Amino acid sequence: MKKTLAVLVTLMVLAGAVYGAPKSKVKIALIIESTVDDKGWGQAMHDAIVAVQKKYGESLVEYNYSEKMKPVDAGSAARQYASRGFDIIIAHGAQFKNLILELSEEFPKTTFAFGTNADVGPRNVFTYMPMSEETGYINGVIAGMVTKTGIIGVVGPVDAGDSARYNRGFWLGVKSVNPKADIKVAHTGSFADYVKAGELAQTQIKAGADVLTGAAQQATGALRAVAEYKDKPIWWLGQDTLQLSIPESFKVIAAASYDYAPVIEAMIDKRQVGTLGGENIPMTFKNGGFIFKYNDKVGTVLTAAIRKAADKARADITAQTLKIDWQPVKY
Amino acid sequence: MNGGSFVLNILILGVPFSVALLLAGLGETINQRAGVFNLGCEGIMAMGAFVAFLPPYFLAGTSLAGSANLIGLALAMVVGTVLGLLFALVVVTFRAPQGIAGIGLQMLGWGIAGTLFRHYVGGVTGVPGIAPMPIPVLSKIPVLGQVLFNHNPLVYIAFLLVPVFWYILFKTPWGLKVRAVGTYPRAADSLGIRVARVRYQALALGGAMAGLAGAYLSLAQAKMFADDLVAGRGFIAVALVYFGRWHPVGVMLGALLFSLAQALQLSIQVAGIDFPYEFAVMLPYVLVIVVLALVRKARMVGPTELGKPFDREQRV
Repeated sequence: MKKTLAVLVTLMVLAGAVYGAPKSKVKIALIIESTVDDKGWGQAMHDAIVAVQKKYGESLVEYNYSEKMKPVDAGSAARQYASRGFDIIIAHGAQFKNLILELSEEFPKTTFAFGTNADVGPRNVFTYMPMSEETGYINGVIAGMVTKTGIIGVVGPVDAGDSARYNRGFWLGVKSVNPKADIKVAHTGSFADYVKAGELAQTQIKAGADVLTGAAQQATGALRAVAEYKDKPIWWLGQDTLQLSIPESFKVIAAASYDYAPVIEAMIDKRQVGTLGGENIPMTFKNGGFIFKYNDKVGTVLTAAIRKAADKARADITAQTLKIDWQPVKY
Repeated sequence: MNGGSFVLNILILGVPFSVALLLAGLGETINQRAGVFNLGCEGIMAMGAFVAFLPPYFLAGTSLAGSANLIGLALAMVVGTVLGLLFALVVVTFRAPQGIAGIGLQMLGWGIAGTLFRHYVGGVTGVPGIAPMPIPVLSKIPVLGQVLFNHNPLVYIAFLLVPVFWYILFKTPWGLKVRAVGTYPRAADSLGIRVARVRYQALALGGAMAGLAGAYLSLAQAKMFADDLVAGRGFIAVALVYFGRWHPVGVMLGALLFSLAQALQLSIQVAGIDFPYEFAVMLPYVLVIVVLALVRKARMVGPTELGKPFDREQRV
């Protein structure tokens, strides 16, 4: 246990220490379709940029953002940022891919970034991709050990991107400790329909699920539905640590979330040595791209054995002795 | 899960899913019967959802917490009425094109709700909301009890409003006036019916119902508020009025059909039935389009002057 913790702490310290302060002022712009306080997708990126800005000071990192940008509106905002001399323009969402690829030719000296996406972009475009199968796996280990009914529900948005990776990693994590578990994966077809996510969670619970999980901002709707079963042993595993600080947190056993700060720092660092893009930056436990937290307030459901199994999985993933082969998984 | 419980779960889930559509659809039926279609229903629902959410959020822990949901519902109806009257001002008095004005109202409601939410509340937040209220004795009836009598009070109210709206529309003098101004406003005008006044009244009632539908989403179904909580349900409600052929019972059947299809597609996915989820999520919408196409061929009983502004000075 101590060894595992020591490895984790060392890696986290290393992850934070890899990047140095920018040599000159960097201007960063963020474009998002949601808002910077959505307690999910948009906020995670915003918080990371603010954290980097706080770390190096406003004199070295200037930051502006544009919210509620549909892909059709985002072009105008991105052009303005590029024309005003912003160094790094991040369009946070795979839906901005075409726009960014188009703008990258128009403004070859500007660094653009979009994600989540595993493709390698042109020479002035970074992409970033959370290896969400890692967080999914750990949550899956916990779910597989917590379930009493043997039925586990996954509330998915669409079967693509990091959500697909998370769900498949979760599936593998459950099966690693509970091969007989029935994992019910379903999708709402939307990233932001909170009501439909709640409806899907209710459907899962009616079908016998006693542990649920879900990704994307809509997941709050599913967690809200789980919280309706106040006195019943129905639990939630989060893909967003902010869920540990909301009133529904009494149902959240543990939660992982993205920390985009290493991605931001990597982009700043690479740009300052002349690499404007052309790389995919992965987010992993190893490079500090994920945060994982238990909820100590849930009581006896989170046993020492579960913590031990989840900690071991996290240590093995971080040390890369556990490879998660998520792609062949078929629900 | 066996076949019986599969079907039962669809019914149990489908009934409460239908309520927001039903409440908004009933209001929109009155609007359209009076000759005005209100595409702004979505925006009014967003405002209704937002203002209904505020009392439970801000009054939590105070002596008024027990009444917060009721205050929220009343507030949603008042705000819905005001927005309905605003829409009436634009399309009845100023005779603006109803489609464009409706889209404007939708954007206005969505924008105001989102902006005020961020300013006064912040991020996505839950509220205790309206608790289920099983009907004594009736809720114990096998199958039927679970499907019909084990819900929150708004579910019962919504379904009880169907005969009330039918009665208002087809058995009261005011209902006759509403139908008259939507079918042949010039004749109604010549008989002394004040077309503009009746349309104002209809849009006020329609707005109140849309506000209530939004309140149902934030207080009874999701028990939270978030930007874009309504997510297109206002537009579906407008379509369901055509689907239901401008009749409260037809609208109820449409809302139930859509919601049961929604519960069915979710249950198909959860049951692990080998069916692409992309097609499953489309199922309710495809169903509505197919039935709308079929209804189009059926005898039209709708308001013939729907969408047309009335100008009593205009020569015909």
